[in-house]
Amino acid sequence: MGHEFIGGEKLKCCYQCGKCTSGCEVNRIDPSFQPHRLLHLFGMGALDELINGDAIWKCTTCFTCSERCPQGIAVTDILWSLRAMAYKSCRASELLSAQKSALFKTGRLYPATVLDHKKREKAGLPPLSEDSSLISRIFDAAKADG
Amino acid sequence: MMKYALYLGCATPVKALKYEISARNVAKRLGIELVDLPEFSCCGFPVKSMDLFAALLMAARNLALAEERGLNIIGLCTGCISVLAEAKVQLEDEKLRDRVNEKLKMLGLPQYRQGVSVKHFARFLHEDYGLDVLRREIGAPLESLKFGIHYGCHYAKPSHAHDCFDDPSNPASLDQLIQSAGAKTIEYPEKNQCCGLTIRGTAENVSMKLAAEKLEALSIRGADAMVVACPSCCIAYENNQQLAGRKMGKEFNLPVLYFTQVIGSALGLKEEDLGFEFNRIEFHPTAR
Repeated sequence: MGHEFIGGEKLKCCYQCGKCTSGCEVNRIDPSFQPHRLLHLFGMGALDELINGDAIWKCTTCFTCSERCPQGIAVTDILWSLRAMAYKSCRASELLSAQKSALFKTGRLYPATVLDHKKREKAGLPPLSEDSSLISRIFDAAKADG
Repeated sequence: MMKYALYLGCATPVKALKYEISARNVAKRLGIELVDLPEFSCCGFPVKSMDLFAALLMAARNLALAEERGLNIIGLCTGCISVLAEAKVQLEDEKLRDRVNEKLKMLGLPQYRQGVSVKHFARFLHEDYGLDVLRREIGAPLESLKFGIHYGCHYAKPSHAHDCFDDPSNPASLDQLIQSAGAKTIEYPEKNQCCGLTIRGTAENVSMKLAAEKLEALSIRGADAMVVACPSCCIAYENNQQLAGRKMGKEFNLPVLYFTQVIGSALGLKEEDLGFEFNRIEFHPTAR
């Protein structure tokens, strides 16, 4: 995990059976998305191709592939690792950049607007707190990891 | 009284008031005390695509905060619960746990000591509260209604993180929960299909098609409503219902309810205490 890699320990065990792809909902609708091919490219060290491509952003993270893999490879987690690598090379999707900005500003993925706060109050729900520095402090602490 | 920390996450308290209202009132009615911890932050799910270690720290921090109060966690969002439960499994590794705790200490935060459980509210009702006890509380069984259940991918997956409490490829616990409220549930081939919301911004056509297929499957089978257990799934099927229909040249009019609204109705709670006014497609369970 020193190199941002949770779940990839078993990558070498992949024998390209394609069970991940054959059970993939995204693949059924968009056949160009092939998880087994992503694993193959990753195993071959073709990181640039993966990080610069669109494929890693098409995964819904539904975990079906991870559940199906006969070798117990955490395919979904590998996809997350690849996204994190893309993010660190400034190749993140626009959506992710927007999410990051919201998280860093408020500590929440969906910051509450004035109207949201009013709606909650009217419904008798407790107020929501925000923290504008928590996430950046956590990122800094994670970065300082050896 | 049973006492738990309520983990709301980011989406529910802003995008799903009907879920929060109905969950709180169902819990209250059943004698389950849900404690709010204002210090809880985002679970870490979106951060997994940025920095896996930072995401793990966020999850560990939330776990440690509940643990410090001596409370187990009950959550409403399948995504949050899955992330927290996965972190728990990862943190069984002593070396990783030490590294995480060192960071938490650096941040002036409590340590995580593996003393907290994490469950989705539906799993809790099924497993801990118990269906037999729940059935005895049901005063207004919804016998005339037929629902299509949508579990949401992270409800039972990854299965090891959720202690394999339900079959990840053919889950049944939510069906049983709704059946214990007296209603019927529909078996349909698309039942385990993803809502597609997470790729709404990056693969829109796939995302919309995934949502539309399930809406169509349940409409054809005459479902009175779809029942969900996650705020993100609800956005995909309710907020985006017309959009998904238009993309596919279909018109849908399928109400989408949270399981807590259904259980609450069967418990005899009033519509206003279950957030029915917030349903975008009107539905009145007792009027049918």
